[in-house]
Amino acid sequence: MRPPSNRVVELKIPSELGYEKIAREAVAMVARRLDFEEDKIDDIKTAISEACTNAIRYGSGGDSRMKVVVVLTADDTKLDILIKDPGISGDPPIGVSIPDIAGMVMGEERMGGMGLFLIRNLVDEAGFVEVDEEDDDEGNQFRMVIYRIQDDDEDEDEE
Amino acid sequence: MSDEIQVSVRTFDQATVIDLMGDVTTFAEEAINQAYQSISSDGASNIVFNFRENDYINSAGIAILIGIVTEARKRDQKLLMTGLSAHFQKIFRMVGLTQYADLHPSVDDALSALNNNGS
Repeated sequence: MRPPSNRVVELKIPSELGYEKIAREAVAMVARRLDFEEDKIDDIKTAISEACTNAIRYGSGGDSRMKVVVVLTADDTKLDILIKDPGISGDPPIGVSIPDIAGMVMGEERMGGMGLFLIRNLVDEAGFVEVDEEDDDEGNQFRMVIYRIQDDDEDEDEE
Repeated sequence: MSDEIQVSVRTFDQATVIDLMGDVTTFAEEAINQAYQSISSDGASNIVFNFRENDYINSAGIAILIGIVTEARKRDQKLLMTGLSAHFQKIFRMVGLTQYADLHPSVDDALSALNNNGS
């Protein structure tokens, strides 16, 4: 049972670690309705968990009185995920570096920075959205897109 | 909201196994580190972290494991990891954790590998 085009699911979760699991389960249900393969669904679940965790931890300082909003927009070709947080920690990070695990193990690098790295490697598109200052939605918005159908023909043409 | 992790320890001739059942997130840090410190104090040299296949592991959980890798290097301990789903095997490779811990499908496989290596 595939949904018709442009079905939208909107969640509002407390900004408290652990609630990202609700977004994780919800996105899995939506992705299954879109016939995503199970390994892709696992990727999406990890990506949304990390994005929501960042929104909770940094975007709203773990203040459970605040909310993180997750908007899942599904159509025949892709799943579009928008995560909004209050943005109390200021501007979101720019650029993602590969985590230096060796440096962390040697105690030369601070632990962390893996969430955004994982997201960028697990979804097709990911990044912070520039929010119009006149927009009612203040704060940070992080968008991820995952395509249901890989364009194999295009890949073959490129070879 | 988090499924509290249950950590238990089993001792074999070849290794000490830490069984992890539940979410491996920031909430699991104390329990995992306590188990690790306890068996290290008892002289464990080969340590197997045995995950339950469908449990949730996030980047904070991976950071806990990197912390243990750091400690294990100082103590000259060998780390092995078992029970991970194909997805989390991929994630562990992606972040480079597999440079420091061998992955095996099951505890039995890990113990056999230790036997074969004469560890």
